Amino acid sequence: MSEVVGKQYEPVEFDADEAAVRAFAEAVGADPDAGVPPTFAFIGTFQTGAQMIFDEEAKVNLAMLVHGEQEFSWERHPEVGEKLTAQGRVGADEDRRGLRFLTLETEIKDASGKPIVSSRMLDVIR
Amino acid sequence: MQAGDELPQHSVEISREQIAAYAEASGDRNPIHLDEEFAKSVGLPGVIAHGMLQMGLLATWLTQTVGDHRKLKRLGVRFAGMALPGDTLTFGGRVASVDGGVARLEVWGQNQRGERVLTKGIAEVQTG
Repeated sequence: MSEVVGKQYEPVEFDADEAAVRAFAEAVGADPDAGVPPTFAFIGTFQTGAQMIFDEEAKVNLAMLVHGEQEFSWERHPEVGEKLTAQGRVGADEDRRGLRFLTLETEIKDASGKPIVSSRMLDVIR
Repeated sequence: MQAGDELPQHSVEISREQIAAYAEASGDRNPIHLDEEFAKSVGLPGVIAHGMLQMGLLATWLTQTVGDHRKLKRLGVRFAGMALPGDTLTFGGRVASVDGGVARLEVWGQNQRGERVLTKGIAEVQTG
């Protein structure tokens, strides 16, 4: 199961444009005029997550997958209008108690290439 | 903020419309969140909220609690339970420690039956 550990995916782009930020803020009950909500970064990590779970080499049984844990850490929060890039890398792939624990680390960078948000997504596959 | 302080709790009722709005805004349009029949066909009681919607609501509560989301340095949760339309989620937490201008918080989300849906929640927030 571990041959996919360390595999890196192509970067994906997503924009914190005003309409996207407003829609996301309204969906999570945040003030749409107060900037980019913290978990807006999920828009990027959802796309890197899709790269991993649809990767044939990762051999993910999608019907048996649940999102187990999620963590973000911020060097700084993006501001409205920024263009962002997310790049995913498989961090771990472990079997425990008959379950598979697959971790995707995603680095989100600003337009200058500086990392600003890190995401760790743990998927559990029954 | 001081170690041991309890954070003011906040409750939110989850609606079908909010789940649909989150699906559009986040890009996660998995039919388990949108299509009642599909959700039932895969053994769920009906459409469920995204775990990331639960976390997003937790982050909104935390932002309101600390005043500005830009103070948030870290946020992590375990998804321990489902939330369905009509469920009311309550978010809360306490200050575990304060050190070097950073408060470490333990945070959680639970439903109206007192069942924890977000566990192992940790947040780090800049103080001042």
